[in-house]
Amino acid sequence: MRIEISYKFIIGFIIVVVSGILVNLVVPYIEGIEPEFRQLFSILCSLLVGLIIGSAFSRAFSGNIRRLTSAGDRIRQGDLSEDVKVGDSHFPDEISDLAKAMNQFQASLRSLVGDIRNIAFRVANSSQSLSGTSQEMSASAQEVARTTDQISKGAETQAEMVEESTRLFKEVAISIKLVASSAKAVADSADLTLETARSGSDMAGSSLDSIRQVLSEAESSGQQMVNFIAQLQKISKFVEVINGIAQKTNLLALNATIEAARAGEYGHGFAVVAEEIRKLADSSKTSADEITGLVESICKEGEQVQSSMAQVIDEMESGREADDRTNQAFSDITRNAEGTRSKASSIAELTEQQTSSAERITRAIDEIDRVVSDNAAATEQVSAATQEQSAAMEEMAQSVKELSNMSESMLQIVKQFKLVKDQD
Amino acid sequence: MALILTYSLGNDLYGLEIDAIQEIIENPVLHYVPRAEGVLTGSINFHGQILAVIDLPKLLGFAGNQRDHRHLVLTSEYRSLVFTTCGVERIVNLEMEFLQPPPDGHDRPAVRGIIDFNETTINLLDTDEVTKQLEDIFAE
Repeated sequence: MRIEISYKFIIGFIIVVVSGILVNLVVPYIEGIEPEFRQLFSILCSLLVGLIIGSAFSRAFSGNIRRLTSAGDRIRQGDLSEDVKVGDSHFPDEISDLAKAMNQFQASLRSLVGDIRNIAFRVANSSQSLSGTSQEMSASAQEVARTTDQISKGAETQAEMVEESTRLFKEVAISIKLVASSAKAVADSADLTLETARSGSDMAGSSLDSIRQVLSEAESSGQQMVNFIAQLQKISKFVEVINGIAQKTNLLALNATIEAARAGEYGHGFAVVAEEIRKLADSSKTSADEITGLVESICKEGEQVQSSMAQVIDEMESGREADDRTNQAFSDITRNAEGTRSKASSIAELTEQQTSSAERITRAIDEIDRVVSDNAAATEQVSAATQEQSAAMEEMAQSVKELSNMSESMLQIVKQFKLVKDQD
Repeated sequence: MALILTYSLGNDLYGLEIDAIQEIIENPVLHYVPRAEGVLTGSINFHGQILAVIDLPKLLGFAGNQRDHRHLVLTSEYRSLVFTTCGVERIVNLEMEFLQPPPDGHDRPAVRGIIDFNETTINLLDTDEVTKQLEDIFAE
């Protein structure tokens, strides 16, 4: 049964008053109390009852107030874990209402704080995952930026290589032109060689004829020399005969002298004649010896001439052979020069074809160069876009970080509230 | 004055009076004589006479075997001996007053005397000595 405080005060007062009256009624029946003290006793009893009731009532009331105060204090400190409790009473009053209201307030506050905490948690979690995602995105953006950078560098290298290729190919084209001109020069040289070889061949032929003529003349000279030496040998034989005659004459002269000496005075003149004959024979012999010496030396010289002639003939023969070989060599040279000329001509044709191919290749390389330049420009644009994206991602990451910080601080704040009673 | 036939023996010039010479013959047909001594080269037919051919250089002890194709046929006074010699070419006219005996130490064999002729020395052969030597040889 609900009794308001004011009524409780009134009831208490009534109880005191009633007890005082009852005591007054009871006292006269109580033995041992002097009549003169009966009034005092009844007052004392009334006072006592009043005191007991008053103290009980006020104690209960102030206890409840203290509890409420302490609960308010607790709530102020953020402890929402405990309900406000007032002393149990069979007669609830405004204090009980106040406690109930405070409990309701605390409950709603608790649910609010719990909701806030949950939301803050979720915000923190979301911001953390968002931060992770933004980091990943940032990393991806950086990766994209790096790749784009590489692509950009690759495009530059490609452009350089294409430029280098163009340059090299132009050199190749120049080389081909040089080869063409060299081939033409070779063909000209081959023509010249051909002409020279033909004239050389003609000259070799005419020199062969001359050599043959000289050779036949030399052979007839050699034959004449042989005849000459045979004649000399005949002379030598004649000289031998003369020599023999001179010796015989000498012997005859000697024997004549001997016979003359034997004839004595008569033989004197004969002896003189014999001596003269002997002298003539001697000088004949001397002359014959000289002739022999001359013939021998002429013979020797003739033999030398003959051997020289034979040598000359041999050399002529070998010259003729050499000339034959020369002729052969000239015809070889002619054939080779003709081959060289036809090969050089085919080289010239091939190099013309190569020149036109090289021009086409140069045009194709120029086209590639243009495409590569376009690619490089596009890659630079992509790179710029990627950089912008990366900057935006960084800004977003910054914002997410701020959001995370904010949710963290909110959680910190909400954590100051104690929603559940500690287990200990 | 005497006529001397000159000839060579070894490196020396020898001489022989032509009074001792019958004839000078060339390339006679030489016949082999069996059991002949070393100096007896053989025999020749000289106008029907058989004459002994003496190797004079060998007899006088000259080295070398150079022999001329001319042979000297001596007169019958010298037993008609035939000498093989060398360099028989000349007969010279010499003054015999200038003949000198061989000086001491002159070791040429069978030299009767020496005489100068045109800056060379002619050794005059001692024919008697040669004959004596031959007699000594064939007497054995």
